[in-house]
Amino acid sequence: MNRNISISFGLHILLVIITAMSLPFLSKKPINLPPIVSVELIQISDQTSIPFAPKAKKIIEKIKEKEKKLVSEQAPPKIVKKEKPDVVPLPDEKIDKVKKIKDEKQNPEKIDNEVKQVSEFEKDNLFDPSNIAALIDKSKIESAETEKKTDKVTQDQDKSVDFSGLSLSEEDALKAQIFGCWSIPLGLPYNEDLLVRIKLQLKPDGSIMKSEILDHARMNRPGQGFYKVLAESALRAIKLCQPLRVPSTGYERWKDLQLNFDAREMLEG
Amino acid sequence: MNLRKNLKNGILILVASLVLTACATQKKSTSQINGDVYTGKDTVEYLASGVADRVFFGTNETVLTTASRDTLRKQAAYLRKNSKINVVLEGHADERGTREYNLALGERRANSAKDYLMTYGISSDRISVLSYGKERPVDSGSNPLSWSKNRRSVTVKAN
Amino acid sequence: MLFRYLLLLILLPIKSFALIEVDITRGNLSPLPLAVSPLSIDEKSKEGFKKILQKENIGSEISAIIENNLKQSGLFNPLNKDAFLQKPEIANLKPRFEDWNLIKAQALITGKVNLVDDKLRVEFRLWDVLAGKEMMALAFTTVPSNWRRVGHIITDKVYERLTGEKGYFDTRIIYVAEEGSKINRIKKLAIMDQDGFNNKFLTLGNELVLTPRFSPTNQMVTYLSYFKNLPRVYLLDIETGMQEVVGDFPGMTFAPRFSPDGKKIIMSFAKDGNSDIYTMDLENRIVERVTNHSSIDTSPSYSPDGKYITFNSDRSGYQQIYVMNSNGKNVKRISFGNGLYGTPVWSPRGDLIAFTKLHKGKFYIGVMRTDGTGERLLTENFYQEAPSWSPNGRVLIFYRETKTNAKGEGFSAKLWSIDLTGYNEKLVETETDASDPSWSSLLSN
Repeated sequence: MNRNISISFGLHILLVIITAMSLPFLSKKPINLPPIVSVELIQISDQTSIPFAPKAKKIIEKIKEKEKKLVSEQAPPKIVKKEKPDVVPLPDEKIDKVKKIKDEKQNPEKIDNEVKQVSEFEKDNLFDPSNIAALIDKSKIESAETEKKTDKVTQDQDKSVDFSGLSLSEEDALKAQIFGCWSIPLGLPYNEDLLVRIKLQLKPDGSIMKSEILDHARMNRPGQGFYKVLAESALRAIKLCQPLRVPSTGYERWKDLQLNFDAREMLEG
Repeated sequence: MNLRKNLKNGILILVASLVLTACATQKKSTSQINGDVYTGKDTVEYLASGVADRVFFGTNETVLTTASRDTLRKQAAYLRKNSKINVVLEGHADERGTREYNLALGERRANSAKDYLMTYGISSDRISVLSYGKERPVDSGSNPLSWSKNRRSVTVKAN
Repeated sequence: MLFRYLLLLILLPIKSFALIEVDITRGNLSPLPLAVSPLSIDEKSKEGFKKILQKENIGSEISAIIENNLKQSGLFNPLNKDAFLQKPEIANLKPRFEDWNLIKAQALITGKVNLVDDKLRVEFRLWDVLAGKEMMALAFTTVPSNWRRVGHIITDKVYERLTGEKGYFDTRIIYVAEEGSKINRIKKLAIMDQDGFNNKFLTLGNELVLTPRFSPTNQMVTYLSYFKNLPRVYLLDIETGMQEVVGDFPGMTFAPRFSPDGKKIIMSFAKDGNSDIYTMDLENRIVERVTNHSSIDTSPSYSPDGKYITFNSDRSGYQQIYVMNSNGKNVKRISFGNGLYGTPVWSPRGDLIAFTKLHKGKFYIGVMRTDGTGERLLTENFYQEAPSWSPNGRVLIFYRETKTNAKGEGFSAKLWSIDLTGYNEKLVETETDASDPSWSSLLSN
C-alpha cells in the first residue's frame, strides 16, 4: 500500500516538474533598464536669430485698424519651421546653382489626324492678343517714378565700399521680413531650377522705386511656364512687404538691392 | 495482484500525462495549412464520392503539390468513367496581388490542373479553362488561412 | 591730368559694385489665398436660367464649381465669401483692390453670366490683387445644359495661368461601381465628372466588368467583360451604349488599353497558362504579337509618343516592371527595389511611370523615372492599387480596399487621389463602392 502511494506520489511530482519547466511565466526575464539620456543646456547666443515675419503681420494689423471695417477671421500666414541651422551666405561663398541634366523626355506630340470634336464652345478673348507682347515687355521693368539720373561722378565718402553691404543682423531682418511675405506656389516642379533674381531700386523709406526680373527671357520659353509663376510670386512677395525693412542710415549702401528667390529648399525638403 | 494494479495505475498516469502533452502541441496536428498550401476540407465540394473538386496553391505559386496531384488523379479516373462529362477548370487567386496579374495567375493555375488531367488521358476537348483572378473568393477573410482557401483551381461540370 | 583720369577709372568700377544680393530661400508653403466672387447675373437671365435649368442662381452655381475645384487641388485656398466687400456686379467691372487685399486675397476671379439667344454666355476675369491689374479675361458661349463644364474650363484656365501647368478639371473618370458581399460582388461600369457629379452607369451589372480605359478622344471605352462567362476585351461607345468584342481570340483577353493615337487596342491574351501582350488594329483588325515569353506579361502602357511600352512581367521569377520598344524589341527591366511591382502607367508628360508595389504585406503607390531611377513611394496602405494619371501628369487616382477586421467584415472599396509631391491625399466621393479608376484627357481642346 505504502509502495503504491510513494510511486503515485513520485509520478505526480514528475508531472508537476515537467509542467513547471514548460510554463513560460515562471522563467525569469532580464530587466531592461532604459538608456540614460543626457540633457544639455544649450546657450542661446547673442547673435540675431531670424524672427518669422513680425513686420508683415504688423503692417496688416495697421491697415486693419485704419479702415475699421468688419473682416472675418483669416488664418495668419502659416509659419513653416525648418530644423536646419540658419546660414547666412556671404556673397563670396555663394554656391552656383548647377542646372540638372535633364533626362530623356518623351515629347507628347499633338495628334492632328484625329477626328476633332466639334467645339461646343465659342471662345472670345477679351484681351487684345497683340497687347500681350507689349504687356510682357512692360512687366520687365516697373517704374513708379521716373528716375532722376545723375551723370556726375561724385567722390563719395562711401567710396571704400565693403562688399557685404548690409550687416548680418540687417540682412537677417530683411530676410525674415520677406520670408513672411512670400507665398511659394505649391504647384512648382520640385526638380527644376527654381531661382528667380529680382533687382530693386529702393527709396529711402524702403518702398520700391523700380523692380526688374533678371533672366527675363526665360518667362516665355516653352516648358518654363512655371518660371513665370515663380517670378510673379516673388513680385507679389515684394509688393506685400512694402515698405521693406531697411537700415535707417547709409541709403547709398543699400538703395540697389537684388533679391534671389530660390524655392528649391522649401519644395525639395 | 498488486503488480497488476500497479501496472494499471502506472499506465493510467502515463496516458493522462501523454494527454496533457498532446494538448500543448495541438496546433500542429490539426493544422489546415502545410507550407502555405491549404490542406483542409472546408469549402471543398465533391464531384462524386471521394472525388474532391478542387486543388490549392501556395502564394504566387502555380505548381501542383502531391496532395493536388492525388486529387486530380481521382478526378481523371472519374472523368474516364463518365466519358460524356465535360468540365471547366476555374482558376482563382487571393486578394493580395494586383488585379490583372491575378487574372493571369488564375489562368495559369487552372492550366496546371488541366495539363495534369491530360496526362491521365482526358482529352483537351473536354476541358476548358476560365480564370476569375481574385474576383470570386470563397472566403472573404483577410488572414493567411482565408487567403489559402482562395488560391485554388476548381473543376466544374459543364454539362 | 593723366593721374586724374586714372583715378576716375579706378573709382568708377568701385562705385558701380554697390549692388547687394540677399538670398530668399524660405517662404510659406500654404495654398495661395484667392477670392472667387460669385458671377454676376442680370434679373432677366436669372429668370431665364431658372426656367431652363431649375437653378436659383446659375452665377453662384458656376463660381461654386470653380471654388470647389481650386480647393480640391490643394494648391489654392478660396477665401470665405462672407468677407467679400464688393458686390459681384461691381467687382467684375473694376475691383477695388484694397478691399480684396484686406482679406489677404492675392488673386481674384470675377465674371458675369448672360442668357443670349437661348445660349449660356459666361465671361470671367482673373485679377492680380497685389499688382492691381487684370491677368486674364475670357468669355465662353455654349448650350445651357453645359453649365458645369464652363465652371471646369474656367478653372483650367485659371489653374494654368497661376501654376504654369495645364489643368485637369474639365475631365471625366471612368471606374467600376461595386456593390454586394465580397464573395459575390456586383460590378458595373460607371462614368462621372472628375468632381463626382453627373454619375452614369454604363452596364447593368449582369456580368463581371473590370479595368476600363478611355480612348484618347474620350468617346470610347475598352474594358474586360465576363459576358456569357467568357472573359474578353470589349469596346463600348459612351454615347450610344453599343458594345462589341475586340477580335476573335480563342482564349481570355484582358488588361486592355488604347494606343495614344487611338487606332489600336493593346492587351494581354492568355493561352495554355501563358499570358502575352498583343495589339489589334481597330480599322483593319490585324492582330500583332508583341511579347513572346513563357512568363506572364500584362498591364501594358504606352508612352505618350507611342514609341515605348511599359508592362508587368514575372519573367525574372517575380512581378517586375519592364520597358520595351512598341514593336516588342529591346526589353529592359526597370524595377529593382525590394518587393513586387505591378500596374505600370506612363505619365502623360512622358517623364515618369507610376506603379503599385507590394512589400512585406503592405501596398504602395509610387513613381519612378522611365529608366527606373528615382523611385518614390507616395502612399502606403493595407490594400491599394492601379494608379491612373490626370491628363497634366500631376495627380494620381487609385483605389483602396478597407476592412474593419480580419474576418473581412465591413469591406469597402473607394477611389483616392494624391498629388505627385505626396501632398493632398484625399477620398474621391462616389455613390457606391468603386475600383479600377481611369482618368480621361481634357474634354475641351
